[in-house]
Amino acid sequence: MENIKIKQVMSAVFDIPVESISDDASSDNIENWDSLRHLNLILALEEEFNIVIPEDEVGNLLNYKLICLIIEQQL
Amino acid sequence: MESLKYTEILQLNKALVGTIKSKPYEIGILSNVTVNSFKEILEYSCRINKIEPKVEVGNFDNIVQDSSVFKNKDLIIIFYDVLNIVDQVSEFFEDLEVEKYNNLKNKLFTEIDIILENLINTASVIFNSFSSAYYNNNNVQVSKIETFVNELNAYVEQKKTSNISIVNIDKLFANIGFKQSIDYRFYHSSKAPYTFAFLKNYVAAIETVFLRNTGKLKKALIFDCDNTLWKGVIGEDGMEGIDMSQTSKSGKFYHLVQRIAVFLSKRGVIVGLCSKNNEQDVLDVLRNHQDMILKEEHIVIKKVNWVDKASNLRAIASELNIGIDSLVFVDDSNFEINLIKEQVPEILTIQVPTSISDYPDLILKNIYTYFNLVLNSDDAKKTEMYKQQFERENSKIAFSSIEDYLASLEIELTVVKNDKAHMPRISQLTQKTNQFNLTTYRYTESQIDHFMSDKMYEVYAMFVKDKFGDNGLTGVCIAKEDEKNPKNVILDSLLMSCRIIGRNIEFVYVSHIIKDLANKGYQTLTADFIPTKKNAQVEDFYDKVGLNLIENIDGTKHYSLNITNFEPKKVDYIKINTELV
Repeated sequence: MENIKIKQVMSAVFDIPVESISDDASSDNIENWDSLRHLNLILALEEEFNIVIPEDEVGNLLNYKLICLIIEQQL
Repeated sequence: MESLKYTEILQLNKALVGTIKSKPYEIGILSNVTVNSFKEILEYSCRINKIEPKVEVGNFDNIVQDSSVFKNKDLIIIFYDVLNIVDQVSEFFEDLEVEKYNNLKNKLFTEIDIILENLINTASVIFNSFSSAYYNNNNVQVSKIETFVNELNAYVEQKKTSNISIVNIDKLFANIGFKQSIDYRFYHSSKAPYTFAFLKNYVAAIETVFLRNTGKLKKALIFDCDNTLWKGVIGEDGMEGIDMSQTSKSGKFYHLVQRIAVFLSKRGVIVGLCSKNNEQDVLDVLRNHQDMILKEEHIVIKKVNWVDKASNLRAIASELNIGIDSLVFVDDSNFEINLIKEQVPEILTIQVPTSISDYPDLILKNIYTYFNLVLNSDDAKKTEMYKQQFERENSKIAFSSIEDYLASLEIELTVVKNDKAHMPRISQLTQKTNQFNLTTYRYTESQIDHFMSDKMYEVYAMFVKDKFGDNGLTGVCIAKEDEKNPKNVILDSLLMSCRIIGRNIEFVYVSHIIKDLANKGYQTLTADFIPTKKNAQVEDFYDKVGLNLIENIDGTKHYSLNITNFEPKKVDYIKINTELV
């Protein structure tokens, strides 16, 4: 359930279809994943799941799998 | 909008792209901090208000230079944040030496001067107040940063021109809570201090500015009666059973809402009733209930009957001669609110909240966003004028011909030119008039000021009165000399308040202006009709005046006329007082 929501948030923030986001999605293969959108992604995920992502994790969350992992921890 | 998540706003905004067919409203954002998520939130707010935005974000921390690049936008929003000003200082701010403090302050003053100078002719500018809330202030003594911020705010306040609106950021912080507004994690890493919560509330706070500039403000506030103006149902509970007493536990909130309604009726808002009741029951309450402070004299129109409310509200708009989207409707019933949302979605609805103590605030919040309460003497008179309009409508019947009726009105027009005393009302009319408006160009007070001082322009204002009362300033015309041909004059704007339409005033008025332009030495005149959703009634106005249609491109019509021997149209029953030279 969370995983679908994560992809929906990524889809909205990066302005790309949700189907195009694979489990291997990362800042390397999503063109719109730049540093400013990364910031919006983190804030949008925090808002969506009502969590706070620790400051030193923010910079690491540059692929879908890591994001799933950290959100699972925080929930 | 404040209740939507950012992801939802992105999705909803994307779905609205391309659905609004109008000239884009150009917005420039200047900032010394990162505000990149602001764009979509702002766009969404524009689009739900049927404004097509074109938003451009300036370069990071480049406000002074970008203020010159962006000056022709319709709206400029400036985030000049203290956070990134204080970061330029290498010392601890409270420990700053006097000389350095003064240098920094003077640098800021100079920058503010340049920015305001660059934007002096920009239609509308939003500037945020500087805030010291970021710093852990000493609560019992004034800190240096507080003094600094106060000096900056006082300077802007003193220098600002009438096109500048200042957002009180401290009030916003207080409403949202500072910790919910600012996220230092992203300020330190990316210079992006604002949370989504802050940006959403900020957009809600400035909405009124761009609604005003695009003519989207509301004009009438229509109340249901039972459980909306009083607690209880008059038809069932009777005079004794209903409650709007200032001293009762829940009655006092209805009392307060009535007080607000009375206040609004004096500030140019049309207050009306639309209720399913026996009319006599409601009249009894209005006339005889001791706790009723909203009286018949405050109410311009009422539909108290058993007809469905969608039809009643449509009738109200048509009788008042205002657009259906100029109405706001307040009702307690879920059923009625949903009916209106379903049947007449153009009407803004407010449902009386279940938690009744929130009711007055909810009304006020909507009022401050959707209505213009600028008090000028014309606005104060407006309630009176709408009532006179009804008296006129009623006396129409007694005359056999419309000409006889018009002749009986003793209409008098007064036309003045470039009179700066009327700038606020002229600007307001350009912003609010939708129906009798040939080009629908919106102008701010400072633009009007600029036109009046510029020899290339003539700004005409028309006053109308008749035996029923004084309609005040109800017509505006802006003429501009053709830059390419000094013998040609262009009618840039021609508009009239819809209250005075249907009495042939428009023909006397425009022909009088044309004559004045001919007297000034212009030989030809050109004018455009630009169609909008609301101005269909004037699409052939220039044809009727006698201008020659040159071309029609997708509904935009270009006209011209040789005016050297122009004879102004005279109508026997309209007296014209002219102060033109």
